[in-house]
Amino acid sequence: MRNKRFTRQYYLLLIPGFLWLLLFSIIPMFGIVMAFQDFNPGKGIFGSPFIGLDNFRYMLKLKDVKSIFFNTVFISMLKIVANLAVPMIFALLLNELRYKKLAKPIQTIVYLPHFISWVVFASILLNIFGYNGPINTILSMFGVDPVLFWGRPNLFPYLVAGTDVWKEFGYNTIIYLAALTGIDPGLHEAAALDGAGRFRRLLHITLPGIKTTVILLVVLSLRNVLNAGFDQIFILYNPLVYSTGDIIDTWVYRMGILNMQYSLSTAVGLLKSVVSLILISTSYFLAKKFAGYNLF
Amino acid sequence: MKKKIIAIMLVLLLICLTACNTGSGNGVSSNASASDNNSGTDSQEEGGNATAEDNDPFGKYENPVVLKIGRSIDPLQVYPEGQSPESNQYTDYIKEQLNIEIEVIWSAAAGNDYKQKVNLAIASNDLPDAMVVENAQMRNAVKADQLEDLTKAFDDYVSPVVKSFFDATDNQAVSDVTFDGKMVAYPNTSVAASGIHNMWIRQDWLDELGLEAPKTMEELKEVAQAFLDNDMAGGGNTIPIAGPDTNGKLYANFLASGNNTYGFDPIFSAFQSYPGYWIHNENGEVVYGSITSETKDALAALADLYASGLIDKEIGIRERTEEIVKAGKTGMFFGPWHAVYSWLDVVQADPTVNWQSYLLPLDSDGEVNLHMNAVTFSYCVVRKGYEHPEAVIKMANLLVRDEQTFDVSVLPVADYPLRVNNAVRDECEFTVSALRDVLNGDKTLDDFTDLEKQVYKLLVSDINAVKGVKTEPYDDMNIANWNFDGDNSTAWGRTYALLVGCGPIVDTEYNEVYSLLYAQTPLMESRWVNLKKLEDETFLKIIMGIEPVDSFDAFVDEWLDIGGADVTAEVADTVS
Amino acid sequence: MVEKPTVASKIFDIFNLIFLLLITLVCILPIWYILMLSMSDKLAVSSGAVGLWPVGFNLKSYTEILKDSRFWTSFWNSIMRVILGGVIGILAIVLTAFPLSRTKAEFPRRNFFMWVLIICMLFSGGLVPWYLNIKNLGLLDSIWALVLGGGLQVFNVILVVNFFRNLPKELEEAAWVDGAEPIYILFKLFIPLSLPVIATVSLFTVVYHWNEYFQGLVLMSRSEHYPLQTYIQQLVVPASAENLTEEQMLAMATLSNEALNAAKVFIAMIPVLIIYPFAQKYFVHGITLGSVKG
Repeated sequence: MRNKRFTRQYYLLLIPGFLWLLLFSIIPMFGIVMAFQDFNPGKGIFGSPFIGLDNFRYMLKLKDVKSIFFNTVFISMLKIVANLAVPMIFALLLNELRYKKLAKPIQTIVYLPHFISWVVFASILLNIFGYNGPINTILSMFGVDPVLFWGRPNLFPYLVAGTDVWKEFGYNTIIYLAALTGIDPGLHEAAALDGAGRFRRLLHITLPGIKTTVILLVVLSLRNVLNAGFDQIFILYNPLVYSTGDIIDTWVYRMGILNMQYSLSTAVGLLKSVVSLILISTSYFLAKKFAGYNLF
Repeated sequence: MKKKIIAIMLVLLLICLTACNTGSGNGVSSNASASDNNSGTDSQEEGGNATAEDNDPFGKYENPVVLKIGRSIDPLQVYPEGQSPESNQYTDYIKEQLNIEIEVIWSAAAGNDYKQKVNLAIASNDLPDAMVVENAQMRNAVKADQLEDLTKAFDDYVSPVVKSFFDATDNQAVSDVTFDGKMVAYPNTSVAASGIHNMWIRQDWLDELGLEAPKTMEELKEVAQAFLDNDMAGGGNTIPIAGPDTNGKLYANFLASGNNTYGFDPIFSAFQSYPGYWIHNENGEVVYGSITSETKDALAALADLYASGLIDKEIGIRERTEEIVKAGKTGMFFGPWHAVYSWLDVVQADPTVNWQSYLLPLDSDGEVNLHMNAVTFSYCVVRKGYEHPEAVIKMANLLVRDEQTFDVSVLPVADYPLRVNNAVRDECEFTVSALRDVLNGDKTLDDFTDLEKQVYKLLVSDINAVKGVKTEPYDDMNIANWNFDGDNSTAWGRTYALLVGCGPIVDTEYNEVYSLLYAQTPLMESRWVNLKKLEDETFLKIIMGIEPVDSFDAFVDEWLDIGGADVTAEVADTVS
Repeated sequence: MVEKPTVASKIFDIFNLIFLLLITLVCILPIWYILMLSMSDKLAVSSGAVGLWPVGFNLKSYTEILKDSRFWTSFWNSIMRVILGGVIGILAIVLTAFPLSRTKAEFPRRNFFMWVLIICMLFSGGLVPWYLNIKNLGLLDSIWALVLGGGLQVFNVILVVNFFRNLPKELEEAAWVDGAEPIYILFKLFIPLSLPVIATVSLFTVVYHWNEYFQGLVLMSRSEHYPLQTYIQQLVVPASAENLTEEQMLAMATLSNEALNAAKVFIAMIPVLIIYPFAQKYFVHGITLGSVKG
């Protein structure tokens, strides 16, 4: 039967990818049992004693755990919102630019920061917002006292989100631009003929036209709600801002890798994965309902 | 259906592979029998030391012995032509003298990267033949039963000179590495001076302002204020007092009890506060120094200095304090005698920069209090089952005996494989006295015994260098009286550090304060990270004025609550 | 244009232009700054004296790099990683995406495999099991650890799946009528049409491999096997003094050459900065998420 033969071929095509997945993602996943053990390297994963939910009980007692989850969600939400709003506005503005020839170069340049690794970009940021850095120099020209930017817990999440946008907005802009070019110019012309000005056209044609793109981007970015950006925060943070800047991944790194608390950090990691799964399922369900977008 | 079965079998097979390798203990490298503890004397098929009597501390093996190690490296180190971290003048020397072939199987940048690598090695049960680790890592490895018993190797092969270092610690060094009656590591024996933190100050700035080095905390504030008001660094860049950078510590603590450059240790001591140490309070009870009222006073003083703009605004955030100090923006910092060891380029760039050091400030009784470092903090461990544990002992013996013959301008001695610094506790004080005697003309090189020349391993080279590097008048330590041109440039750093850094240690009377404990107790393994984090955060915030000084009291309550009380009880138990 | 531009419109245009140009400038600044640092005098860089222009202009840093064999070795390692990782990655991604883009009717098991992918994307045993696994596969310290260690990048698979699903059904149906098989459809039909998404996914994969540093740190034992970003990370991120012995501290207390570091960083950015503009024209099409049609 045609379908049977086809199905065999589909399976065949899946082999390389899934073999790779099996060997490098699925097998290490069994290590999750460490979350339920008192891991002893000498005994290995299969020999360490099983202690059930003790790690989770201890974890919930730690004040830290609540704050790292909160910080993580807070910072990622800031990033998600900013990374949706800013590129959209920028794309709209770029689309309205009269000097069309400049559009391409501008687009190319703003995408550049995306390619700098955080290792490099973060150290530059530490410099720029440092006590004697350019930003403070500018502030002092307006008579404002220098601000210790990287030491203020209430500023930190915003700095993190803001610099992330700086780095990444170019990428998202492209998606919006693509969507914008997909809007039928005929609609604009018809509306203009009817006397609608630029602003009204924006409201009634442009925005609705990219509605589905926006929804999709929201949905796809929800998967990252618990990934507030380890590379970036690890370099930018310091003890002064732990209270708002310590996220799940940095905490797990310090506990797990630097302090050898493997079982505990695996437990926290597991919790993070479970919550992420719930979030993604919810968001895909929402996408299906409101945008008719079907991942499956 | 068939495919399903194949798929399941594939998975099972792979799981088996993982299980088998993880459980057996030695993974990729050689398979040694786990039960054989005393392989030092048993497996004699390879190495040349066939008999138990032939315990030559410097004995060259008949057949080459391979020693696989993991090491830390300095990514900024430039290796001379033909040399590398894996093969250099030290590995060559060891091969030549002992017939040991050093094979570096992995390396990582010193600091967090190296720590991570070691932790992974321990966690994956895949230790190299030998490597240098910290206390907590050693304990972890002991728990996982990964370490070779070195008792016999040590007793049989340690050289007399090295043994004298250990003896000078009153057996503390050996007991630090003994678990269940077995010696599981070869430790360093620290120099007392490295745990002592001096006040380093720009004497030229003081002279210009007609001031003396501050003796009390009040004077310290005045001097710092004078530095600031007179903008001694120029261009509005003056930062009177430098503090820790983003990777630094406010004070040395019981787990990392020395070498805290750019901290505030002497200031705390001036208030008889010993944060980070386990001490007895007035009632004789065991208490953690960071929660005492004296610490609160010290924090208040620091907060005041910070608020007055006298301490670097960016402490805890700045990437590298060293930069502002070396760039001449700072007038004062605190650190051990060797803080200026590598500052040749600073004085060459500006020969008027005159850093001097003192054991100051004094406490309210007019005395100097110093918290002392742990006897050991660096451990060379050998994996269980390695056939030649005595090899590391021999390498250590060799280093101590021949260190002075090495040309360290080619490659610093830190590149010597598996180096844990073994020195006699009073190395600095003795050397300083000796150098002074030589400069006075009271003694010459020949007045020192052979044993002394061996025990104080750099004595000979120090004495030979001193008259070239130090010019007259010999008792004036100011920079103008030093010669760092030409051949003297290599020796200048160490000699200056000794005479200017260790000098005050010899000259000043001080009270020694030891921590009751220098290692973690079992409960600390899970609790300490959070307790420490709370402490670090709170103290920094108090000093920087982000939190009021009175939030200290809330800190103490919280600290006790989230495990501090339990840990204190455990410590009290352990030390009684 | 049909309408006459109003005054408000003109004013808006001018402000718009200025605003966009400013933002563009801000995006160039970090790269510009690094370039300036790399061409400045080493002492000036350490004391933070360099602003928008080089201080003590010189190209010494670059000549020193030409001599630094460790830099070039890591550079080469990264190139190898990117080529191998890119090719293998793209192949795996495209091959995997095709069956998953079929409808439930065509490929009944599809949802199951999709869920497996999602689970793999979300769940992990953590660093130690992952490390142990690679060790057991005998890949430690080899280029294959870097190429394969990151696993199949699920997000990229989803992008391609999405793209495939938006290709016109008529094309496939015509092919089926002619008796074509899936493999034929994939290779002869879909792939030629998928250049945009393949270019996009290729760029993502390449950039990922090029910028990744952590795996290099953990999986490579010998420093000459480090990829470029790992090598740079060691230089740029200050070491924590707490874990150093006195000897290490003494050895490390040399004034680091920040100008040289900046030059290394800049050179590390160049390959990506060059490839990107060429691949850029494909993005606009490649990243459409099916939304344009919707």
